[in-house]
Amino acid sequence: MAKSDDCVHILQGLLVFGNVVIGMCGIALTAECIYFVSSPHGLNPLVKATESSDIYAAAWIGIFVGLALFALSILGIIGVIKASRTLLLVYIILMLITFAFEMASCITAATHQDSLTPGFFLKQMLERYQKSEPANNSDNEVTKTWDEIMLQNHCCGVLGPSDWQEYTSAFRLTHSDADYPWPRKCCVLDAQGLPVNFDGCKLGVPGYYNSNGCYDAISGPVSTHAWGVAWFGFAILCWTFCVLLGTMFYWSGIEY
Amino acid sequence: FRGCSGGSTPSTAPPRLLTAAQLQYRPVLTQDPRLEGQITASTFVLDQPRCVFQDYGNADIWLVVALNQAVSTFNTSAVPGTSETAFQSFPDPVRAYMTLNATLGHYPCPKPDGEITVLRVGSETSCAQDVSRPTCNGPLPGPGPYRVKFLALEGSVPVAETAWSAPIMLRTAKSPSSVSTTGSGHSAGMIAITTILSILFAILLAALVAMLVFWSSDSCGDSSTFSKPESVTVRRYNTHHVYDQPAARL
Repeated sequence: MAKSDDCVHILQGLLVFGNVVIGMCGIALTAECIYFVSSPHGLNPLVKATESSDIYAAAWIGIFVGLALFALSILGIIGVIKASRTLLLVYIILMLITFAFEMASCITAATHQDSLTPGFFLKQMLERYQKSEPANNSDNEVTKTWDEIMLQNHCCGVLGPSDWQEYTSAFRLTHSDADYPWPRKCCVLDAQGLPVNFDGCKLGVPGYYNSNGCYDAISGPVSTHAWGVAWFGFAILCWTFCVLLGTMFYWSGIEY
Repeated sequence: FRGCSGGSTPSTAPPRLLTAAQLQYRPVLTQDPRLEGQITASTFVLDQPRCVFQDYGNADIWLVVALNQAVSTFNTSAVPGTSETAFQSFPDPVRAYMTLNATLGHYPCPKPDGEITVLRVGSETSCAQDVSRPTCNGPLPGPGPYRVKFLALEGSVPVAETAWSAPIMLRTAKSPSSVSTTGSGHSAGMIAITTILSILFAILLAALVAMLVFWSSDSCGDSSTFSKPESVTVRRYNTHHVYDQPAARL
């Protein structure tokens, strides 16, 4: 029976290794989701203002799933070494529940990511930027965030300054088209924050206004985070799948 | 870079009917350089009429902005600065107004290289409601279409005029609710994640059910190939038969 002992030991070793990896990945997932929730990037007001908190729900689930994975991996290691049927059965069932939660989190993160289209940001910007009677604080946040984005990235609008011309907006209600074809922040500004050439900016002379849109600058960071949560979770789940199958096979072979 | 904005004192001399010289020049929207604000909802940008009115050094050059339908009824003997050509009454009842007064000195010929020489029609917002400024270059009240031409007046006598421009249509802004936010549907990545994870989860559930079924039915499909570390089989040696052998021989 030496050969089957070797097989047993190899399987045990593989399962322990698999659980160690799951434990470490659980910690990493928790850390990544905590970073995402408390992200220092200034784009969160734009996403928060949409009142769709799916991406944050996915991140919060990710935090708890990560901790659960770490705890369960320790349980799994103990169960494999002791070859205890009870422990391993508990481990398998709890792991399946965790798997289901993490699956929901990944799918939510991926679906939410798809909803951040240019049209989404454009509509929000047109309806809320420089709104004269802000309904709540999030409107002020939207205005401040957009001013910062346009200033730092030297861009204008979502697709370009023509956004302000093609659509009516809250901005247009308080600023006449002749004086403000697009907001002042779209002009090239000097060190004091004043337009370098006021008439050049209003006319749209190349060099005196920012002609490119801000969509690339906006969607980049948010997209990276969301895909990080979704794809990293997916990778963890694939690895967990293999470890769970191995554990079930090991469980069914234990003598009781 | 030069712009031009209007304003001059109206002339009160009685109009005299004289045929003005018809110049071949046709006012155009500025094409070079490409301006983002060439046409907005209430303004548009024209090229300055350089090297057009060379023979009329004493004349005042006015810009006439008219509704497309009013082009045929416009009379060159119209006097700028009166209520018949006041911007504030445009488009009803005034169907064509006159603005952006300039002299030949404002339009030196030839145009220096590197300078952007344009006329922005509609840039003066401060006098748009001020009836004491009938030659105000105020923002246009609607999307048009409009047609423009330049008219040179000496005193109140029209001496030269350009052709009418092509009809100029201004931008009409749409409502933000017409922006589509749905995008192009689900991305391939999201579909891949969903399907693969669903399949994996289904396999795991099936394996769990199979495992429990085999356990509860106590099937011998999986014999106990793995033993617990505590249970060690010890073979017992029966030593009694060694002593029986010699007794059987005897």
